[in-house]
Order: sequence, then structure tokens, then C-alpha cells
Amino acid sequence: MAAISTSILTPVLTKGIGELNLCDIDVYRDQGGYAQLERAFKELTPKDVADICMGSNLRGRGGAGFPTGRKWSFLPNNGRPRYLVCNCDEAEPGTFKDHLLLEATPHQIIEGILIAAYAIGCHHAYMYIRGEFKVGFQIFKAALEQARAAGYVGKDLFGTGFDLEVTIHRGAGAYICGEETGLLNSLEGKRGEPRLKPPFPAIKGLYGEPTVVNNVETLAYLPHIMRNGAEWFANIGPARSPGFKVVSISGHVRNPGNYEVALGTTIRALIWDCAGGLREGRTFLGVQPGGGSSACLFEEHLDLPYDFDSVAKAGSMLGSGAMVVFDDTTDFVKAAHSLIRFYAHESCGQCTPCREGGQWLEKTLVRILDGRGLQSDVDMLVSASHQMTGLNLCALGDSLEPFLASVVQRFESQFRAYVHEPRQAVAM
Amino acid sequence: MAHGPTATPLAPADWDPYTTRPDNFFDALFGQLRPECQALIEQYEDSRSALLPMAHLFQEHEGYLSQNAIVAIAYLLGLAPAVVESTVSFYTLFYRKPVGRYMLAVCRNLSCIINGAEEIMAYFRERLGVGHLETTPDGLFSYEEAECLAACDQAPCMQVNLEFVYKLAKPDVDAMLAAMRDGSFVVAPLVQTAPPERTWKIAQDTGHKSAGGRDVADPNNAGGIGDRSGVIMLDRLMADPAFAERSRERILHEKNLQSAGGDGSH
Repeated sequence: MAAISTSILTPVLTKGIGELNLCDIDVYRDQGGYAQLERAFKELTPKDVADICMGSNLRGRGGAGFPTGRKWSFLPNNGRPRYLVCNCDEAEPGTFKDHLLLEATPHQIIEGILIAAYAIGCHHAYMYIRGEFKVGFQIFKAALEQARAAGYVGKDLFGTGFDLEVTIHRGAGAYICGEETGLLNSLEGKRGEPRLKPPFPAIKGLYGEPTVVNNVETLAYLPHIMRNGAEWFANIGPARSPGFKVVSISGHVRNPGNYEVALGTTIRALIWDCAGGLREGRTFLGVQPGGGSSACLFEEHLDLPYDFDSVAKAGSMLGSGAMVVFDDTTDFVKAAHSLIRFYAHESCGQCTPCREGGQWLEKTLVRILDGRGLQSDVDMLVSASHQMTGLNLCALGDSLEPFLASVVQRFESQFRAYVHEPRQAVAM
Repeated sequence: MAHGPTATPLAPADWDPYTTRPDNFFDALFGQLRPECQALIEQYEDSRSALLPMAHLFQEHEGYLSQNAIVAIAYLLGLAPAVVESTVSFYTLFYRKPVGRYMLAVCRNLSCIINGAEEIMAYFRERLGVGHLETTPDGLFSYEEAECLAACDQAPCMQVNLEFVYKLAKPDVDAMLAAMRDGSFVVAPLVQTAPPERTWKIAQDTGHKSAGGRDVADPNNAGGIGDRSGVIMLDRLMADPAFAERSRERILHEKNLQSAGGDGSH
């Protein structure tokens, strides 16, 4: 992680990373860790905690940006067991925030899981970690053992009679398991194929019971919101999209890394003030603001506030908060190809538009890159990806169009340059 | 979906299908890992949830997920082996045939590609003499071009046996391979209990999770004239004006289609 020195940074989750060994429970406790968990159990009712979360207007940090308090409120009061699942299947191209949090501050995540579990009345929480994070899994496992030894996990917590178990579940290399119902299937020992919704997991989730699936970063903010109050969080940044966000910035910048800022910081400030701007002598061409599934934004969008609603209004999305910056050395055909290949590879294959469409788009791009493309292939990339959108069980099939269409439209000449066939040969 | 604990295997506890097998190594391993498998099952409300953890466990000890392990997992969970196989085949981290001592997975996704991953991948292919999803003949290296590994700030990056190597450059590749060859590399090699073949993917596997577009090489024939392999997309494509334009264009440019004729708008 790059050194945090810029004034617009607001380290909350990332505070102390690189300076302190936050994997050690004593160090974490010295920083005020687990105090809010104890306070929740000893002084607050689950409803109090849920109200604090609702009042903070915390929106999910995993990609969809759904208000966390509202997600919890959908759980039915039917007396059935409830489950909480922490989603650490981070695999969205460009995103590496959960990777950092998992390896650098596991206790913060554990405290968030425990607080959320208390708030929703869950007695068995699951932590789903992507298979590639083997080291992160080991770090988290060690941290969980420390928390168990300290009496934060197990039976009769804080003498309240509340039992709470946390189980770590390792994935095995499937991006689609980051989709919440795909994740639940994977957790049930099945292929990670997303389920038809509704019913949403809040009604029928893990083992058919009411379930909440929250992202790592979302849960990690809970102890801080508890400590500083719901208003503290709700008053940061835009009213409908408040709080802080760990933004992963990579691509053609001097200092790629994770930067935690208040939502509403401009994209320009993120790229230039946080990530050090572009390399010497390069000019800015575009930025993907929210992971591989988001449409590319360009120079005219640089002063856009980086928050859920503003980025959506500009035709893209905040997603998981992953910015990939492109300078004038970028070959957008290759960039688009690498993303389309990714989605074709990761399609679970349930829905025809996604399964077939992704692979046809990939083949079309390969043909263009090989110099065998036709002029109409360039148009077909846009029309075929558009025809895939909105026809699938989950959002994966809808994720190919935004970036592809935005860069074909903006940098059409780059795509045409790969096509040797003369353009005027098309007889109409 | 069954509720509550179903952790007890369906088969009687003293039944062991492996005592008569000639594969002595696996008998010993099965006996050794059985208590650990039972502990994994007890972690979950439903025993089937232990499928992935158990697959990880067997793979850790065998270096790959053998057919024996699949049968063993099925037995412990009271499932048919085909159910276990259909599940593990979804996940790319389960190697269904033996792999090399070092699994080299170079990231081929966006942030790495725009930061020089293509050169690194080409260099690996050259130095190892194998391609994507292949193992070197000496059984030492398996090479894979992987999807985003979530270390984009360290691009180009890779994983060796699931441990990260950051900010790759060509000299690092040479040093890394040399260290692996003389056994001094910082990451421990994988267990190897059987000699690897050329690839660890099963023959039917395209390398994709789904089977779309298999055996169809040319996207230009996606439902076009004279081609029947891409008909699935045809109905959606035909409604699009760009498709009609492309059909005309193909007829103009591909001589063998001209006799098949039509005005291209079918």
C-alpha cells in the first residue's frame, strides 16, 4: 500500500495499516477494538444496533450499494434461524480493497461480523473468502482463534446467553460466487450458480433460511459507526450516499493503491491527489470508476463527485470502488478483450445470453485483434453486448456491455485500426 | 432443503470402500484425513457444505483432486460421486489431474494487461516451453493465465501455489524459475503423488466454467448463412439492422457464399 500523506484522505478502516500489527488482537484492542462489540452486547439491544446502522445510511460497499440497514430490515420475524454471510469473494477486475483489509486488519472485519450478527439475531455467521486468498485465509483464521480465546466468539457471549459461531469457508476460484446467491450455493457445497430472485436471500437464503450477505468493507465500518454515532457517518459526503469508501486505484497512475476518502471527493482529486496522477508526459484518456462491470468515464467526467448517485447519473457506476486509469498508451481493444475474456471465462453458463454472448464477443475481439475482423464486427460488439443485457439471472451477463460499448463509442478509431478491410466496401 | 444437522454420513461408520483397493497410498490418506473431514462436516448445519473444504483438504495432501478423493468425499457426505464431480468441476482451483510442483498463475486481467502482463506471459511461455493450462514435461511447473487476482496495485502480478508475487519483471521470472529448480524458492512446492500429464484440465473442459461456443471457431458464422453452429443467437441478432448489414457484407466478401445467395436479409 502506498504511503498515506495526502490531506483529503480520511483513514477510518485503513487507519494504522502499515504502522501497526493490527492482526494482533492486543494491538487492535489498544486502538479501541472490540469495545463497541462489548458495548453492543452489554448496553444495547439488537434493535438499537440495527437502528444505528439504519441511521448511518451506510450503503453496501460490495458493488450494488444497497442500504445495509434496509437489507437487514427485510428479514422476516418467522422464528427461523437467521444467517449472516460476509462476502470476501473479491474478484471484480480492479478491486483489491478487501484483500488489504483481510490481510491487514482481520479483527476489524470480525468485530463487524459479530456486531451485525448480534443486530440481526444470527447465531452462526459465515465468512466466505475467495480461494486465491490463501494467505488472507490463514491470517483471518488465526485472528478468529484469538477472538475466540478472548471470548468474543462462542457460547454465552458477555454473559448474555447469546451464542455466536463464525465459520470460515474458502471458495475455489469462481468470480460468480461473489454474487450473493451464487455464494450461498457455493457455501451449501454446490456449483456457484446464482439463483432466481425473488425470493431474495433475506427471505430464503442459506439452507433456505433468512440470510443477510454483506461485503467485508460494509461490515468493517460498523464498529466505527457504533463508536462515532450514526450522524457522524451520515453527515459525511452526499446525503443519499454518505460516509467513507476505500477506493482501489490502479492502471496508469504513479502510485496505485487503496485510498480511503469521503464519498463525494472528485474523481480528479482521487487520481491526481491520491494516486499521484499519470506518469511523466502522459495524457489522460479515461477511467473505469467501479470495477470491470462499469462503463468508462472520460475527461469531461473528471470533476464528478465520486459517490453512488453521481457516478450512476453519469452513466456508469461506483460498484466496488475500483478505479482503473487509462493514459494515452492504452490499447482499448486489448483492454476490452481482457475484460470480455474474463466475463466469458467466469460465466456460470446457466443463462444463454451470458454463456453464448460472452464467448462470441470474445471470439469476435480475438478476430479483430488478429487482423481478420470485418468493419461490421465493431458495430456488432455494441449490438451483441446490448442484446445480452437484462436477460440473465444475475448481473454478470449485464456486465459486458458498459465498458465495451463506452470504449467502442469513444475510441472507435482504435478498433477500426485493427480492421484491414476498407470501410467503403460495405454496400448498402 | 433439509434443515438442522445432517452431519451423519449415510453409510454405516464401519464401511470402508477403500480397504480392498490396490491404491495403498490413498487408503492411508483416507484413514488419516477422516477425523479432519468429520470435523469439517460438523462446522456446518448441512453436511454438504463441507464439500469444498474437504476437496481443498484432499487436494492439499494429494496435490490434485483424484478420483479416489471424489469417491471418498461422496461417501462421507452420502452423495453420489457424480454429484461431487459435477460440483468440483465448476471451480478452477480444483485440479482434477496431477499438476506440477509449482502452479504458476499469471494475471491476465485489465490492470495487469495495461501494465505489461502480455510481455510477462510471453516470457513465461518462452522460458517454460508450455502454454496456458499446461505442465512442463519434467513435472516441475504448471502454467496458467489467471483472472484478476485482486492485487491490481502491484501489476503485473502472479501467484505461485496461491502465494502472491508482485510487480513482475522479466529478470524476476528467470530468478524465480532458477530458485524453483534448485529448491530454494520461498514458496513451498506442492505435493506430487502422481506424474502430471500435459494438462490438468479434463478433455471435455474448455477452460471455461460453461460450455458456450464450444468447437465453433469463427464468430462470423453466428447464425449466418451456411452455418448451423451459432443458431442460438440468431433470433436476437436478426432483429438488429447491423446484422443485416453484416450478412450483405459477408456475401460480398466470401466468394463461396455467393452462390448460396439470397439478399442477405432472410
